[in-house]
Amino acid sequence: MDDGPRGRILRATVTAIGRYGIAKTTMEDAAREAGVGRATVYRHFPGGREQLIRETITFEVARFFARLADQVAGAPDFATLLERGLRFAHRAVEEHEVLQKVVDTEPERLLPQLTESAPIVHAVLRAYLEPLLAQERLAEGVAAPEAADWLARQVLSFIVGAGRWNLDDPEQVRTLVRRHLLAGVLADAGGAPSPADPEVAVAAAGPE
Amino acid sequence: MRGRLLDASLRCVAARGVRGTTLADVAAEAPCARATLYRCFPGGRAGLFQALGERELGRFVDAVCEPLAGALDTEDALTTVLCGAARALQEHTAFQYVFRNEPDVLLPYLGFKQVDRLYRAVSVLAGPHLAPFVGQDQAGWAAEWLARTVTSYVFFASGDVDLTDADQARTLVRRFLLPALDPAAAGADEGRDRPSHRRASMQPTLQGS
Repeated sequence: MDDGPRGRILRATVTAIGRYGIAKTTMEDAAREAGVGRATVYRHFPGGREQLIRETITFEVARFFARLADQVAGAPDFATLLERGLRFAHRAVEEHEVLQKVVDTEPERLLPQLTESAPIVHAVLRAYLEPLLAQERLAEGVAAPEAADWLARQVLSFIVGAGRWNLDDPEQVRTLVRRHLLAGVLADAGGAPSPADPEVAVAAAGPE
Repeated sequence: MRGRLLDASLRCVAARGVRGTTLADVAAEAPCARATLYRCFPGGRAGLFQALGERELGRFVDAVCEPLAGALDTEDALTTVLCGAARALQEHTAFQYVFRNEPDVLLPYLGFKQVDRLYRAVSVLAGPHLAPFVGQDQAGWAAEWLARTVTSYVFFASGDVDLTDADQARTLVRRFLLPALDPAAAGADEGRDRPSHRRASMQPTLQGS
């Protein structure tokens, strides 16, 4: 991925945060990690460390949702799209080493920043879901905008915490999506048995 | 005595936040000797706030679920909890102070690993109150789902939906929660293989520590 010096600095800062934590990552760390001079970092982030950290978090959140959109592209129907999205998002959070480290060691520095961007993320997600929902046969009395708002909230909630659901288990995700999250959204949420997501069938057939 | 000390701590937090409250403040507010505080809360300040958080969560759930005794049906029960929880949070001055002025104190409990503990606690506390309305098997999940929904609307308010308004809360329940959680709907719609007790019992298992 070549996104110029700015992108390189942001990615380098993610790495530096993984090593030193949010509180201790300096402009020098970012410069060294990115292989650029300190002056270059300051030119791109004149607001200094605070701006750099803030934009790094925003950058990483945007990258996360871009990957999420890639991952669900081409899903055969809306329910499958939601299932794939939840499974991917959960795995991506669990496997994000820097995120996991920061959540363990300095959640008080990360979460307020994430919460600040939450309304924007929710709006983006809602805008993404709305046209997709407009193509579906919705339950009686449900309009696409309110359904999109509701589902965007639910998706964010499950990205932030799986609660009692095992989101690594395709069967559970299927139950969650079709019998619960979409029960009141789609005219037919696929409660009746229907072919499983072919991608899941492949995964299930793969090695343990 | 513990109760009185927690009451005093709550008043302190409502006035100047968690960070602004020292053990000396609590002792002065109670009033009691510092030694008494340490005897009741051997964990010191951290232990005191931990106990306060747990007690407030329990009291919050009790207060929100108490009116369920008078609920007419599943829709009414879910609406009562959703709207009651949104209102109770709005009226909780200590919560509001921390939420507005020191979100970094509060948020770690609501994100990623730690939020699952909150859901678990809410399921245990509120589940039994909800069971008569959604069925034993779905009660814990229903509590968690309501908690998720309230949290979402508290943390990013929407221009469209205000859960402290009973009519709006009812609309949300009717549209999105009831079709999944109403045992009557499941029974009346057997052809579609809706969530049934058999189904519910094989799903959600608590994970993590």
